[in-house]
Amino acid sequence: MTAPKNAGAIREVVVAGGGLLGWSAAAALRRKIPALRVTVLPLAPPADALAERIGSTLPSIIEFHRDLGMSDGDALLRAGCSLRLGTEFDGWTGGHPSYVHAYDRYGQGIGTASFHVHWTRQAKLGAGAPFDAYSPAAQMARAGRFVLPDDDPASPFAQYEFGLALDPVRYPQMMRAYALHLGAIERRGGLAGVQLRGKDGFIEALALDEGAALSADLFVDCTGPRALLRGALDAAFEDWSTWLPCDRLLLADSTPVADPSPLDRAIAHAAGWRWAAQSLSRTSHGFAYASGEIGDDKAAHILRGFAHADPQPPIALRQGRRLQPWLRNCVALGDAATMVEPLEWTNLHLAHSAIDRLVAMMPDRDCAAVELWDYNRQCAAETTRVRDFLALHYAVSHRDEPLWRRMRDMIPPDSLAHTMRLFAERGRLPFYEDETFTRDSWLAVLIGQGVIPRRTDPLIESVPLAHSEQAMAAMRDGIARFVPALPTQAEFLRSMQRQAAR
Amino acid sequence: MTRRVVIVGGGTAGWMTAAALAKLLPGQCAIHLVESEAIGIVGVGEATLPHIRSFNERLEIDEADFMAATRATFKLGIEFVNWGRIGDSYIHPFGTFGPGGGEIDFHQFWLRLRQQGMSLPELDRFSMACTMARMNRFTPPSRDSRQLDSTFGYAYQFDATLYAPYLRRIAEAMGARRTEGRIVTVQRDGETGDVTAVQLESGETIEGDLFVDCSGFVSLLLDKTLGEPFEDWSKWLLNDRATAMPCHTGEGGVSPYTGVIAMPYGWRWRIPLQHRTGNGYVYSSQFLSDEDAAAALVAAVEGERIAEPRVLRFKAGRRTRSWVNNCVGIGLSSGFLEPLESTSIYLIQAAITALLELFPEKEISPVDRDEFNRLIDVEYDRIRDFLILHYHATERTDTAYWDYVRTMEIPDSLSEKLELFRRRGRVVKYREGVFLDASWVAVYLGQRVIPQGHDLRADAPSPESLVAGMRKLASDIYGLADAMEDHGAYLRRYCPMKDAA
Repeated sequence: MTAPKNAGAIREVVVAGGGLLGWSAAAALRRKIPALRVTVLPLAPPADALAERIGSTLPSIIEFHRDLGMSDGDALLRAGCSLRLGTEFDGWTGGHPSYVHAYDRYGQGIGTASFHVHWTRQAKLGAGAPFDAYSPAAQMARAGRFVLPDDDPASPFAQYEFGLALDPVRYPQMMRAYALHLGAIERRGGLAGVQLRGKDGFIEALALDEGAALSADLFVDCTGPRALLRGALDAAFEDWSTWLPCDRLLLADSTPVADPSPLDRAIAHAAGWRWAAQSLSRTSHGFAYASGEIGDDKAAHILRGFAHADPQPPIALRQGRRLQPWLRNCVALGDAATMVEPLEWTNLHLAHSAIDRLVAMMPDRDCAAVELWDYNRQCAAETTRVRDFLALHYAVSHRDEPLWRRMRDMIPPDSLAHTMRLFAERGRLPFYEDETFTRDSWLAVLIGQGVIPRRTDPLIESVPLAHSEQAMAAMRDGIARFVPALPTQAEFLRSMQRQAAR
Repeated sequence: MTRRVVIVGGGTAGWMTAAALAKLLPGQCAIHLVESEAIGIVGVGEATLPHIRSFNERLEIDEADFMAATRATFKLGIEFVNWGRIGDSYIHPFGTFGPGGGEIDFHQFWLRLRQQGMSLPELDRFSMACTMARMNRFTPPSRDSRQLDSTFGYAYQFDATLYAPYLRRIAEAMGARRTEGRIVTVQRDGETGDVTAVQLESGETIEGDLFVDCSGFVSLLLDKTLGEPFEDWSKWLLNDRATAMPCHTGEGGVSPYTGVIAMPYGWRWRIPLQHRTGNGYVYSSQFLSDEDAAAALVAAVEGERIAEPRVLRFKAGRRTRSWVNNCVGIGLSSGFLEPLESTSIYLIQAAITALLELFPEKEISPVDRDEFNRLIDVEYDRIRDFLILHYHATERTDTAYWDYVRTMEIPDSLSEKLELFRRRGRVVKYREGVFLDASWVAVYLGQRVIPQGHDLRADAPSPESLVAGMRKLASDIYGLADAMEDHGAYLRRYCPMKDAA
């Protein structure tokens, strides 16, 4: 058998970064393209690399693991992960009760119209249950319970997805072991500099301390916001602080509870928002705030009060995206490419998505402009819509403090303005390619924060009100009756362990 | 609450709109359609895309009844002949190559093995739709997405002059009114510029809140009344004429696919219906006279002609906006793209779907109007690039016509797509849009755009296991198609046309 004639193909890849992200990238590259020689320079991840540090993840991590050939059991049992169903948002709109954004379908369509149109019609009449009463996962999460989605697609408990809460020590260890098992090579050393090639400005090699050099065809930068490799090529950056006002972040961990809730909490505060996320290994707390509104000491005092633990030194957040995450032969992943506050837990998701894209779009050694253009275009489309989704939480907030009044009055970015305009008019959501969050996720936040469309979609008028009310009551009851019988998260994980032990 | 909707023009666009609004917005709009039998319609026998099935389903149309009434046949794809080079033939299938799903496109594995020098069957042997089409078979697809025989879709080839009357019965049964007559004046509000009424030759005046312009190329409201500019795309899509002529079905048979045969100055369609075959030559008047086009068509068709050639004139492009003031253009009044990929009825359907979803109140919100226009733009732009690809990706040098299209400058959006495919067979992905990955792959490879490399993930499996898997796949596909019924036999059993009235 002759070898594929890919004379120009990339053969050598160096991944800089020894946290979970660097090892995840190395594992994916080795697993999907075995012909690549992948060397990891395991630089310790910096404190401000949020993709490394924020333990709450979106459901996409499950598929990422499966693609790598890892089972859910590997992640849960061997790496000490626990489960999460969504986030409860509290205090974002004054006077409104909290709402849950779960990774689930909210209600089922009735007749010719989507569920939310029926919900809206009822709400405009001043009646009805909260929107999240129609999401099985949201109700399970509120009750602290967990089961895997039902295999029967007709069951109401079949449509949700779940994310993981990662163990900050065991998870990176597992990923490193797995990448090494797949044939990634670890090359220890410190980074002394980046050597560029004269003729085209490509990275020729990484200079290591003690005089050694590490060369490759392609360099993957997982070194956090400072982007030690990619930052040597250019610094073009799109700043999002107009729409995402928090520029400081505090993290604190407290001791875990016995039966962690699968529901994280994100609570609005005069100067930003704080969160609490329970998992088996810890309860993590955080406070994202605008430095113009509150000082670090005061913020630390506030977080200490809730967390009953000492916060770590504050992290500076520069929210935005690198305009070209991939330039020449260097691609930036994670915080080196995009930095956003952990609201909605997209940090690791964006990094995973970029890894998948990198593997799928691996160019030749010349890193042709047209191929990088397509990669960067897709990254831009994806991160822009994530930005929009996060900014939405501020744009449709309702609080009296100066920060929140400013956010409510801000002019949203065009694509978000388009979404808000269409929804406010008639409950329609526009379609965008490369959208991270589903329509139901957008609805959960829009409706959860009190945005009610001005008109009811005319397509609904062929369904009588009484008929839709009856169907809606049946959906609610089906969920409410079922939830109390489900196991708590601790019970669920114990039964999984028992099954694995057999 | 009820809005008075006036539809200007019958034909396919007018009656599709009337039927959809009457059926899906019952009690919310009073529909009044004005048409003139003296004006006539453009419909020349229509080849459609699979999307039409969802339109018919929403209208609760019984498929067999509809097919019998319009003398329809099934359509699994389009055969392109003589496009890359004279003598070439490929099928653009309604369906996938390979079993579908999976994170790596099937054609990547095929490319990899080819680039390794292995001899493999042509890509279309791995497509259910292509294989069935070549074997002249038809059975509806399975609904179980794990099954190989779920990997194709289908559309119809039917007589458009019969589709409009069929929809008219539905629309009128749901309460739509029809008035016969020619419009002589359009009345507008002096302040807003909105259209308020149309006046007929008879003197009758029909008032409305919303006007739908289905007047065809005349574009009575959008162009003649509101003066909406037309964006001309003829520098890329040269053809501005078609000559059409039906004939008795001959050696081509009642094939379950449309034929699109490249000609010296354009291309020729072949659309087999149950009772006859529609033919037409689409060409550029810069290069070919009407007489020569008609002569070439007459010489090319397979059976005895049923009518004399009839010439149609058009220009590729679209109105800058399709919805202006209170007038929504649907069909040819809003734009035209030649029927190379059977998109005419699809574009009508896309506009109707958008109008249903954005159906206005009496006071029209600019939000709805802007969104409608954005959606229509996306549809037109994507189809435009796909059509240009067919002309540009050719090695033909036999006439000045092909020299021009082969060497013309193409839109950046298309040259980027082409370059990505040439490098490693990558198709720019859309989740929504009329032509998805397999369509682009079929045309690229069918017209000799051959990638230099492939997706490196396709190197992971061993060549032996890949080859064995591919052999089995091709043989499974052949076996499934072979067990299916002959297309003609299926039609005679399922939806035989009624005797000509």
